[in-house]
Amino acid sequence: MGLRVIFVLICFLCTFISAEMSGARVYIDIESPELQPLPIAVAQFRDVEGSQPNLGHELLKILTNDLTISGFFEIIPRSEFPQDTNALAAPPDYGSWLGSRAEALVTGGYSSSGAEFAIEFRLFDLVDKAFVGGKRYTGSTKNFRDIIHRVANEITYLITREKGIFDTKIAFVSTTSGNKEIYIVDFDGHNLRQITNNGSINLSPAWSPDGGIIAFTTYIKRNPDLYLFDLARSVQVRVSTHPGLNAAPAWSPDGNEMALMMRREGNSEIFIINRDGTRPKRLTKSWSSEASPTWSPDGRKIAFVSDRAGSPQIYTMDRGGRNIKRLTFSGSYNASPSWSPKGDRIAYCGRSNGRFQIFTISPDGMWTRRLTENSGNNESPTWSPDGRFIAFSSTREGRSHIYVMNANGANQRRLTATRGEESSPTWSPRMDR
Amino acid sequence: MVKRFCIVVGVILSLMVMVSCAKKAVKEEPLVTGKAEEGALGKPGEEAERARIDEKSLEASLEKKEYPGIEGVFLESSLLNDIHFAFDRYDLTPKAREILSQNADLLLQHSRVKIQIEGHCDERGTIEYNLALGERRANTTKEYLISLGVSPDRVSTISYGEEMPVDPRHNEEAWAKNRRSHFIILSR
Repeated sequence: MGLRVIFVLICFLCTFISAEMSGARVYIDIESPELQPLPIAVAQFRDVEGSQPNLGHELLKILTNDLTISGFFEIIPRSEFPQDTNALAAPPDYGSWLGSRAEALVTGGYSSSGAEFAIEFRLFDLVDKAFVGGKRYTGSTKNFRDIIHRVANEITYLITREKGIFDTKIAFVSTTSGNKEIYIVDFDGHNLRQITNNGSINLSPAWSPDGGIIAFTTYIKRNPDLYLFDLARSVQVRVSTHPGLNAAPAWSPDGNEMALMMRREGNSEIFIINRDGTRPKRLTKSWSSEASPTWSPDGRKIAFVSDRAGSPQIYTMDRGGRNIKRLTFSGSYNASPSWSPKGDRIAYCGRSNGRFQIFTISPDGMWTRRLTENSGNNESPTWSPDGRFIAFSSTREGRSHIYVMNANGANQRRLTATRGEESSPTWSPRMDR
Repeated sequence: MVKRFCIVVGVILSLMVMVSCAKKAVKEEPLVTGKAEEGALGKPGEEAERARIDEKSLEASLEKKEYPGIEGVFLESSLLNDIHFAFDRYDLTPKAREILSQNADLLLQHSRVKIQIEGHCDERGTIEYNLALGERRANTTKEYLISLGVSPDRVSTISYGEEMPVDPRHNEEAWAKNRRSHFIILSR
């Protein structure tokens, strides 16, 4: 079957099964402070061609893991199912689910013919006895996990009206090979792959807003120069090579510029450069050290670190370098700011009793919240694109690893376990757009 | 009379030339042989001799090095000592000033030597702020050498932040060693 035929078929099926009507119901209000997870039953997906039964178990594991991590769902165990549901398209026997705790049901099927994988799902409301929505996806078998993550994204969308972030990735630095190289891993800790392999010191990866490029600093040429790594083509280009620092890049939300640390008059200042490294514009002018810029999501402000008052603290300024305001006042070391995607919080790390912990603060500096409490150092917070999670590095188990937690500090779990010390996570934007 | 005057002037002039040559030789050409000046004036000969010994000791102090993953081979001299800093500080301690004036003497004696000052930090604190701190430490070090007469175009700086500890342990002793400015010779 030609690609075009498949494409047309998908479009047809999407229109056919998608029952998204205007004023569709929001099952979970994600802004609500008392979020109650929705009890959901996920049926075994039917192996349409009967050739790949193992894929069915694997996909169910990926899908239920995504839905569990999101915090929006409570997965009803299969032992509580009233019947073995594996109908493909037909509505379930709603009556039989009456005694169950499940309020929603996912059914579906898949087929795999060598290099190609196809999956479709349907979501039913067991309380209102209604079909909520469904979709079919076709893609390369080697992207199997990504395709399942997109199913989870869509189920999340149907329930919350905001797409999930299950196909996002996290880039970070690891010393697995003995030196600091950049790696990428899926949101769920799978699919680890090495990006740089130059044997040098590679620092501060930053994911471009279109998801295609990782900016980072490397010492290959005996200077901390800024490089861009193109993920699709696996090539890198050197873009900023001013003597001294070209470090800690932060992409502007439109992806056209980067804020970064550069040397002027013997100390580090915040600059903005075009994405090709041209036209450096100096934003800060001080005798002190400035570090770690991060943009507000509207692109109008930049938060950064400065030791102008004697110790490193978090400040904000407008994108022209004016209206500098100090945000943090408690503690003698606050650094690594990361502005949340919704703009309402800035995460950072601060020293408390000799250890670094993750905090968030509102951009007006009004209230601070501490998210980690343990005997390790917790550093480098980075937000998921929906603002619901924060990834960070922590030495709580000895070696430094990357961890993920809910934005309120709940559910802290280790993401990765490479053999080296891991640091500097950066969360990708949504890939499924 | 005129002839004698001419001889006297000639001797004075040639002495002046020799003196200036000798001075110049010490300042700019430490490798020059003592032979030309030998016996002309006692002192320049000694200085040239000392320069030769200095040169020998500098050469003897050198070790070829490279960092993995970073372009270029460079030299390290056991005569150029590291200086150390307090936590989160970049100001020079009295001990650091003492070492820097020794380093400056060496650089003034060997005027063709070009160095790079590396600013380093201990592992505490954030990677990025430590890059800024290392930049600061290297620059403070450079400024002090310049104040002692070393020409700025012979000194470049680089910050390695916390990326190159000399002691990888996680304790006070290791941290104190790692907060440093380190000197490498790029050319001579």
